[in-house]
Amino acid sequence: MLGKLDWSAIPFDQPIPLIAGAVVLVAILAVLIWVVVKGHLPYLWNEWITSVDHKRIGVMYILLASVMLLRGGSDAIMMRIQQAIAYQSQGYLPPEHYNQIFSAHGTIMIFFVAMPFVIGLMNLVVPLQLGVRDVAFPTLNSVGFWLTATGALLVNLSLVIGEFARTGWLAFPPLSELSYSPGVGVDYYAWSLQISGVGTLVAGINLVTTVLKLRTRGMNYLRMPMFCWTTLASNLLIVAAFPILTATLAMLLLDRYLGFHFFTNEAGGNVMMFMNLIWAWGHPEVYILVLPAFGIFSEVVSTFSGKALFGYRSMVLATMAICVISFMVWLHHFFTMGAGPDVNAIFGIASMIIAVPTGVKIYNWLFTMYGGRIRFATPMLWAVGFMVTFIIGGLTGVLVAVPPADFMLHNSMFLVAHFHNVIIGGVLFGAFAGFEYWFPKAFGFRLDERWGKLAFWFTFTGFYVTFVPLYVAGMLGMTRRMQHYDVAEWRPWMIVAAVGMAMLSIGVICQIMQLVVSIRNREALRDRTGDPWDGRSLEWATSSPPPVFNFAFDPDVRGEDVYWNMKVRARQQSLEHEEPEYHDIEMPRNSPTGFVCAFFATIMGFALIWHIWWMVILGGIGAFATFVVFAWRDHDEYVIPAAEVAAIDRVNLEERRSLVSMAGAV
Amino acid sequence: MSMTAAVGDAHADPHHIGLVVEHPGPAPKRIVTAYGFWVFLLSDIVMFSCFFAAYAVLVSQTAGGPKGSEIFEQRNVAIETVCLLLSSFTCGMASIAADVRNRFWFYLGMAVTCVLGLIFLAIEFREFADLVARGYGPSRSAFLTAFFSLVGCHGLHVSAGVLWLLTMMAQVFAKGFRADVLRRMMCFALFWHALDIIWVGVFSVVYLLGGGS
Amino acid sequence: MSDQAHIGHDLAPGDEEQHDVGTRILGYVVGLVLALLLTATSFFIAGTDLVWQPSIPVALIVLAIAQMGVHLVFFLHITTGPDNTNNVLALAFGLLVVFLVVGGTVWIMAHLNANMPPMDQIMPKPM
Repeated sequence: MLGKLDWSAIPFDQPIPLIAGAVVLVAILAVLIWVVVKGHLPYLWNEWITSVDHKRIGVMYILLASVMLLRGGSDAIMMRIQQAIAYQSQGYLPPEHYNQIFSAHGTIMIFFVAMPFVIGLMNLVVPLQLGVRDVAFPTLNSVGFWLTATGALLVNLSLVIGEFARTGWLAFPPLSELSYSPGVGVDYYAWSLQISGVGTLVAGINLVTTVLKLRTRGMNYLRMPMFCWTTLASNLLIVAAFPILTATLAMLLLDRYLGFHFFTNEAGGNVMMFMNLIWAWGHPEVYILVLPAFGIFSEVVSTFSGKALFGYRSMVLATMAICVISFMVWLHHFFTMGAGPDVNAIFGIASMIIAVPTGVKIYNWLFTMYGGRIRFATPMLWAVGFMVTFIIGGLTGVLVAVPPADFMLHNSMFLVAHFHNVIIGGVLFGAFAGFEYWFPKAFGFRLDERWGKLAFWFTFTGFYVTFVPLYVAGMLGMTRRMQHYDVAEWRPWMIVAAVGMAMLSIGVICQIMQLVVSIRNREALRDRTGDPWDGRSLEWATSSPPPVFNFAFDPDVRGEDVYWNMKVRARQQSLEHEEPEYHDIEMPRNSPTGFVCAFFATIMGFALIWHIWWMVILGGIGAFATFVVFAWRDHDEYVIPAAEVAAIDRVNLEERRSLVSMAGAV
Repeated sequence: MSMTAAVGDAHADPHHIGLVVEHPGPAPKRIVTAYGFWVFLLSDIVMFSCFFAAYAVLVSQTAGGPKGSEIFEQRNVAIETVCLLLSSFTCGMASIAADVRNRFWFYLGMAVTCVLGLIFLAIEFREFADLVARGYGPSRSAFLTAFFSLVGCHGLHVSAGVLWLLTMMAQVFAKGFRADVLRRMMCFALFWHALDIIWVGVFSVVYLLGGGS
Repeated sequence: MSDQAHIGHDLAPGDEEQHDVGTRILGYVVGLVLALLLTATSFFIAGTDLVWQPSIPVALIVLAIAQMGVHLVFFLHITTGPDNTNNVLALAFGLLVVFLVVGGTVWIMAHLNANMPPMDQIMPKPM
């Protein structure tokens, strides 16, 4: 009846996950009860859960990423403490638990922190920058978000029901095959990634189509802000790479569920094919994450330097070059597997070549800053911190792209330090920069600068104190994923790294404080103009937060840096005061399709993990029925009357005029 | 300052290319929808390419089991191929009928497409059942694993297509040729034709190349 | 976002230029005949000993690619016209990735097989 599920699935004998799970459960229940008692449920349901507004969905993506960052961060803290004390002892985490933690840490940080964070920012900003009212497929957008949330839910469910994978974040066979991992851990891993992978694919298709087909009048390709270009490149990679992940995990699941022989040792299966396929997805994935971050930095650096982006066209070329070359380097993740000198040399060279367009970007940012009037607001701090950190990460990357050097450093702590160096220094700093930069746009008030800067400095120094020791430990021969060790030379470095981890945690706490303080002082931090940073692209041309229709008119674009040029013109010439003519606006109706669909996906995923076949069928039928009901609806749009549009727009225009005339007077 | 404020002409062509074609604005919904679906199809083809790659890697790993030439029946494959080809044609007829809003020819075209798809699935199912009965199931060897997955994945897509086809017919019956129904019909036609293209790859690479020597 | 008149030159994938029904049906008929011919040739060549044997795999692949092209042109209406630029570019990117994944995998795995012993000889059985 319940497949493999019984009471032994709940880890009564392991206090740490049980207590953690109970605390989270109590917290969720408390929030739910508070929401219901306070009567916020209708608001949440109508305005957020069923919303198809790209801005709301973007915010929910970022919220999901932030919550999961705390979860993944707790895993990181536990690992650092374990390695600091597990010298010639077992530490406090037994091996089977430690293995689950590092697997969950990697899985969560990549799939449920980095991915939703960048997808959330792209969702929030790109339609605004393109001057359009919504993404190409608003309801699918909601489906994509909720499927991602389903994946995150399943991963966290493994904490209290069953176990998570002990195989590392990519579940390499043969360890992940049924004969070596008979538990449900790998199934939790694979199904949550399959479900959230569908969500990511949907988001990718949506954003590619938005950028290619929904730009406003006059928004030629070479007038798009840089963030739109990197969004296009990143989502093209999503569309092309995520199917590879889906196929590879499907093969692993077929092996585990139906006794197929893709990656088994017996009957001619080939383990190495898994490494090959998973990294054919895995390397583009790195660029899926970092390209949007590059776009964010381009926007931030140009805005806070008060200059147009230097070398815009070379930036576009570099972005698209990375988009293509990122599909030609995947073997550098397994140089040591034995493909031989020819193959290794070619992939090594390709890996070094891909550093060139990245270098072009660094120079472009530097030259954008050169001669600019730089304001070191919090987003700019993250951008400068990124440049320093990412160059170090990039250089160690070029180092391990040399096959002979990689044979020395493969699977060592050096490698761990390298990819944290690029992912924290690139993606996370980028996500934080974007968060600080666009928060006023999303909510209408700025974030507190003092706490923001504290958060930056703690995170920045904490990062170096944590990861430089790991580089050293790697050079001293320490391999990754060690539950305990007996080499005295490594110990001090592990202790320093644990101290760094504490600093990183303080950085995160500062960021939470920043949010709390800013929300409390929101009236003082209020931005009524919609343009708090003296921005350059179209998202700053509407109010903060933008009305549901984004723009009262289709913006008319005549060049690059659209909004900047509008401001320049408005200052030079007398301001237009005549009342524009407003029209009715049609917007897509909210829809619970995404939430309901994810509900059934959760049921189906859980049932698949525990082999509860009747429930799988039930979930499948439910998901199909949801789509049919959606397809059958008769009214998918509603009309905002011109009068309402005018009322909303006039308030913002008034504020904006006073800003422009004030600036013009200076 | 209104949103339509014009920017000086100097900004229109900052790099002095001379000719700047102004982007006309957001595309109509029909183009947006079909393009999004087109991108999805390409991603689906990339997924198939992984199964093709796996097949190419594992084709010689028979582990003492049968080789392709010992289990493939070219006659069945030929019938399957003709079924799919004709169904592609009738699907095209149905989409023309939908465009000119002719219900009779639409239903007829879709029904024939459905029957041809079901014949294809029946033949494939019989082939699979027969192989499993002879002890040559997907667990027998890595070659059979790759074979069953690649062909089965295509078969699953065809099954999903048949389900979609029936839903489309029901929707036209209930809602008529509404704009959104026509958009979905276009996506369905794209899907069905793309499956046929993948089948060309399957029968060439799996059955003909593997069935020969 | 209503279906307002579109000024630019753009075409949905799968859509054709405006033709009358007769011309459109004729397009599908031509496609069907060509595809059937190519399929028949493939099946004939695969089983024949009339041609030089090593040329058969090459011929089969060429015929398959040709038939995919026929499907793309006559059923999916992908053309090289300016209204199809985006559709063709997306297709080209997809094909590039397909080529890299399949070609790369076959190349890498062939080298691995040449260099490494079979798995069942180096991996111990699970207890």
